[in-house]
Amino acid sequence: METYIVKRDGKHEVFTIDKIKAAISKSFLASGAFATEEVMTGILSHLNIQSGISVEEIQNQVEVALMAEGYYQVAKTYMLYRNRHAEDRETKSKLEFLMGYCQAANAAEGSKFDANANVENKNIATLIGELPKKGFIRLNRRLLCDRIRTMFGKEVADKYISLLHQHFIYKNDETNLANYCASITMYPWLLGGTKSIGGNATQPTNLKAFCGGFINMVFMVSSMLSGACATPEFLMYMNYFIEKEYGEDYYKRADEIVDLSIKKRSIDKVITDYFQQVVYSINQPTGARNFQSVFWNISYYDRYYFESLFGEFRFPDGEKPHWESLSWLQKRFMKWFNQERLRCVLTFPVETMALLTENGDVKDKEYGDFTAEMYAEGHSFFTYISDNADSLSSCCRLRNAITDNGFSYTLGAGGVSTGSKSVLTINLNRCVQYAQRMGIPYQNYIEEVVDLMHKVQLAYNENLKELQSKGMLPLFDSGYINIGRQYLTIGVNGLVESAEFLGIEISDNPRYTEYVQTVLGIIEKLNKHYHSKGVMFNCEMIPAENVGVKNAKWDKEDGYVVPRDCYNSYFYKVEDSTLNVIDRFRLHGVKYIEHLTGGSALHCNLEEHLSKAQYRQLLRVAAQEGCNYFTFNIPNTICNECGNIDKRYLKECPHCHSTNVDYLTRIIGYMKRVSNFSAARQVEAAKRYYATM
Amino acid sequence: MKIASYDIVFQDVPGEVTLSLNLSQCPNRCPGCHSPLLQDDIGLLLDDDMLDGLLDRYGHDVTCVCFMGGDREPGEVMRLADRVHAAGIKTAWYSGRQELPECFRMESLDYVKVGPYIESMGPLPNPNTNQRMYRIENGEMTDITASFRKKKG
Repeated sequence: METYIVKRDGKHEVFTIDKIKAAISKSFLASGAFATEEVMTGILSHLNIQSGISVEEIQNQVEVALMAEGYYQVAKTYMLYRNRHAEDRETKSKLEFLMGYCQAANAAEGSKFDANANVENKNIATLIGELPKKGFIRLNRRLLCDRIRTMFGKEVADKYISLLHQHFIYKNDETNLANYCASITMYPWLLGGTKSIGGNATQPTNLKAFCGGFINMVFMVSSMLSGACATPEFLMYMNYFIEKEYGEDYYKRADEIVDLSIKKRSIDKVITDYFQQVVYSINQPTGARNFQSVFWNISYYDRYYFESLFGEFRFPDGEKPHWESLSWLQKRFMKWFNQERLRCVLTFPVETMALLTENGDVKDKEYGDFTAEMYAEGHSFFTYISDNADSLSSCCRLRNAITDNGFSYTLGAGGVSTGSKSVLTINLNRCVQYAQRMGIPYQNYIEEVVDLMHKVQLAYNENLKELQSKGMLPLFDSGYINIGRQYLTIGVNGLVESAEFLGIEISDNPRYTEYVQTVLGIIEKLNKHYHSKGVMFNCEMIPAENVGVKNAKWDKEDGYVVPRDCYNSYFYKVEDSTLNVIDRFRLHGVKYIEHLTGGSALHCNLEEHLSKAQYRQLLRVAAQEGCNYFTFNIPNTICNECGNIDKRYLKECPHCHSTNVDYLTRIIGYMKRVSNFSAARQVEAAKRYYATM
Repeated sequence: MKIASYDIVFQDVPGEVTLSLNLSQCPNRCPGCHSPLLQDDIGLLLDDDMLDGLLDRYGHDVTCVCFMGGDREPGEVMRLADRVHAAGIKTAWYSGRQELPECFRMESLDYVKVGPYIESMGPLPNPNTNQRMYRIENGEMTDITASFRKKKG
């Protein structure tokens, strides 16, 4: 019988001794010696070759054999020769990746390691960003494992790597060194410019300087974060500078001509020109971020939220923010942005309307009506509702309890500074199925995995503290981000799929409620257990733009039951057409999201826009069901021929009648062309059930 | 009277968030009917318990309940509509008949659609439709058929 060896690419090949002999001879020659037939036989006699042996194992044996025969110099040469080849192979694999990336259909499909890049294009800049990703992953794992070993011992570190490799858990944004995302307070900038974070700009003193400086500041902050940068005070500060320029009643005189140039611009035109400058600049791809644009979020508030968050707020000159003018500016920005999106695909800012609720309805009726009006006009944004202004959602994936609504003259409003330092996600579908295979209760296994995840996050936190102590994190030191208000996040993926596996019907029924509460309850229990001074945990259902696809693929390969190619980011099956709109709100209602302290978003997919009265009623539905974070998603149509954008979901361009159309939709939290998603994500977008009316 | 299915709909009754009850055993047999399944004797009996169960589940979230069909037993539609009204929710009725039945009571309904489906004239959004949708307010019926047309493009 012939002996087979396994090559590095996994292929089998008939074993021949000649290749080994040639490599040994070369090593002898390179060391200035010559291997006689007798010497060769002596060395080869040490080898033990069996069918199925790998090339690496044979080479290991050759090294040992050379040393056993006393040829140490030759062994060294042989090892160096092996190492050179290993380096060649790595370069070759990078080259192959490079060629593959160039040929991929889009940037998300080409990215091998972390496709959640908000990158529209595929070019040399994005390629440069892709190449070191593997190195970052290795570096991050090493940093984390070293720390885990010091804090909890080798066993825990090994368990972490093993769970990662087996895809029970997923470390989000492992291709970046920076902490994840943050909602910042801009007060330090208002006091001292960007000097404290390494810039050279002094504090803004007028509207022009504010808008220009704001763009630079957001770029600087984003370069020190791996995820989103939220500026919940953007419009409030802008309002302050407009008032300084045109008076506190500017909004009552918006048509007044204030520009002495031949353009004769009105106050309104001046303001919208600044909107344009800020929004278009921030949507630019950024050199320092590998052509990713920054991920920018802003918030709008109703009167009650405003009073709760900024009631005590004072600008450095002692001025109070004014609700009436800010309210006008918020509405003006939304209306402007909605219209502007007909001209150009503008992804950022992701906007969240924060509304306080009372007795099953929005408390500030004016803002409830305005929110419904904006949805009816086709604007796409998130709404966050709460019956207590004790929490705020500042980002498409982050809901945070406000621990301090106070104001200080050095840090500004306490409520807005928050964020997530790091996200580590559990693959529930695999955990539940694995537990079943092993004959252990899934609750026990989930608890074991989640417990380890907390230890890993604590280790991450220590590393971050060390970086900070070395002066590497100026955002924290200068007060833009308060490290004490940053969460360590346990992400959840594959929840629906794990319930399906257990034979639980995915609808509002007691068994499913109990399952969701049990699983998320385990996480919350441990979040509380590991809570300590300066260490807070939260739990969120992560938007599965990328992880959901990977987990489904890996689980399928390993023989687990995988009902769809991308694990859900919702509490219902994304393609389920039997659930009506109210069922969907209910499945993202209080019973289900109770333990999701870090948030989840209902993306209510509709085929057509509703009337203002209907959206207004759905705000009541959300309040009654306790669904605190949602958006309505109606695919917008963009024509590939003439570029016309229409807010409706159409098969044909209404302008040039071409059927070569693409859609803009909100899968990840921000609007993006469907064709810019990676292939698996596009499948999900196509399958997604749009409630027909 | 039997119910084949239900759904939450937005287009059938303008401006309302509607729980639509799709009633089977339709006697009208319009050629080109968009849901011929509803001509069959399928589904479950829509009695008080069934209706109360649905109102329990969706009543506090919807603004209107719409009876889709039910021309076999119009009196029963009126009776159940009153029960919906008693829960403080508006009512609508999609009848496939040209004429309203003798038992029709304006106070039981807030919206009523009349007229069979005639393929050549099209459904409500079609400008040539024979069907008519009325809003009933203070004992007066206002034709609101045109409101189905405005948004299409």
